Amino acid sequence: MKVRVDPERCQGHTLCAMIAPKAFQLDDIDGHSSAVGEEVPADQEEQVREAAHSCPERAIQLF
Amino acid sequence: MSEAGADDDRKKHRVHFDRHTPEYRDQFEEITHDLHAKCPIAWTDTHGGHWVASGNREVFELARAAEFLSNDHDVKGERRGYKGITIPSPPRSREQQGGFLEMDPPGQRHYRQALNPYLSPAAVARWIPFVDEVVRACLDEKIEEGRIDFVDDLANVVPAVLTLAMLGIPLKDWTVYNEPAHASVYTPPHSPDMARVLELSRNMGRSLYRSLLEIREHPRPGLVDALVHAEIHGRRPSDEELVGVLALLVGGGFDTTTALTAHALEWLSQHPGERDRLSRERDTLLDSATEEFLRFFTPAPGDGRTISADCEIAGQRFEEGERLWLSWAMANRDPAVFPDPDRVHLDRKGNRHSSFGLGIHRCIGSNVARTVFKRMVTAVLDRIPDYRCDPDGTVHYETIGVIQGMRHLPAAFTPGRRLGPSLDETLETLQKACDEQRLAEPVTTRPGRAKTER
Ligand code: HEM
Ligand code: SF4
Repeated sequence: MKVRVDPERCQGHTLCAMIAPKAFQLDDIDGHSSAVGEEVPADQEEQVREAAHSCPERAIQLF
Repeated sequence: MSEAGADDDRKKHRVHFDRHTPEYRDQFEEITHDLHAKCPIAWTDTHGGHWVASGNREVFELARAAEFLSNDHDVKGERRGYKGITIPSPPRSREQQGGFLEMDPPGQRHYRQALNPYLSPAAVARWIPFVDEVVRACLDEKIEEGRIDFVDDLANVVPAVLTLAMLGIPLKDWTVYNEPAHASVYTPPHSPDMARVLELSRNMGRSLYRSLLEIREHPRPGLVDALVHAEIHGRRPSDEELVGVLALLVGGGFDTTTALTAHALEWLSQHPGERDRLSRERDTLLDSATEEFLRFFTPAPGDGRTISADCEIAGQRFEEGERLWLSWAMANRDPAVFPDPDRVHLDRKGNRHSSFGLGIHRCIGSNVARTVFKRMVTAVLDRIPDYRCDPDGTVHYETIGVIQGMRHLPAAFTPGRRLGPSLDETLETLQKACDEQRLAEPVTTRPGRAKTER
């Protein structure tokens, strides 16, 4: 599974990093999110799915 | 079809909707589910006529359609005369632009860029030791007595003190801002007390203006300093505009966080089993519980917009100039997204709530709000775990048109021991820490945490 955060959609709600802290990093300056790596390690898949499902802006793409 | 006929067709879902009445608060769940079932976007003739979006999908699509929506509040009639985010708008004499919340990009974006380095998750985390000291002192003031009013003695104090610290305004001034920030929200327009509240608000405005002048003259780090140096549309904004932004930061930060905390503490008192569970399992439960309280109580129930161009969104045609109410509170109860929407589930998953808004105006203070809320609640769970709220003394806001808030939430508990100095003394110590460590610098300049003695 791969993950990407759409920078046009992300508004920095930070829920993704709360739910999957190893998979998402928040920018220090504006709090917007990006994926730590595109490839999601198997043991993080569930958290990353849950993060995608919780993003209020639906900015997290799984592919 | 005639024009009037076409209009009737567009507005075929008509409802009577007035969120400024006590009935709306009392019957919130019935009204919400009725709207969801029949017309997730409806037209109402109240307050000069406006659309009401209550469905989750509808609110989501509308809120994010920045190219067709405007937040502009054109107080001086220089642009298209739009009325900003309040429905109905206040009387002309009291109209004031509500900072960048009542602006459109690019100006609004420039303000956010200037303030983000003070309010990002990393920036806010630096303040945790500071917040903990204020919380500790608030609880110390009451812990020997065994009684506290969670609103007056805790939830009003901590957000106010932290906001002032971040602004770079002296902490001891928090009382100047506290009453107007809350009273201007809960006082109904026709109340005999309104004249006094307006005077308090004007006093707060003057005080903010003085801080602006002072910090421009004698620079001191903080949000005020950021605004003094901000370039918006490539120029320095007027002082009037900056005071509007400062009032937005105070207004945005005080009453909402208080409202969230009071409602959560009241709910936990009513559900002692869940309270114990939250305390025990806080490492895994506190984040999701916080989001669930945000969803369920939605302290800021909604905001207005003006349609800025004819468009069709979520299957509804809109015309330029029409007013629209985006109900974050009702979107948060949509069963299509939230199973069992009218119950609090502290471990709710997929909680895509809209309590901080959606899209470009998403609450810039959300990290402050979450942090302050969590530190207050965990301290209460640790120090006065058996508190019981007194329903007879509890006062909710009469209506939830602006903020779903509380004026009083008294509680009793088994008395405990003080841990440190009084609130006044603590604020003096913390003021020194602010000044010496320049705590209110942006995260770009001061990445480290606040150090508090004791
Ligand atoms: C639980 C507490 C809070 C809630 C529920 C809340 C809610 C909201 C909502 C719903 C919006 C979007 C309004 C819209 O789109 O029309 C918003 C925007 C805003 N909030 Fe908050 N807020 C909270 C705390 C704070 C705090 C602590 C601050 C200040 C530090 C703050 C400052 C702002 C500002 C400046 C905006 C305007 C952003 C913009 O227009 O770009 N809020 N807030
Ligand atoms: S939850 Fe969504 S909007 Fe929020 S930071 Fe993560 S990706 Fe961005």
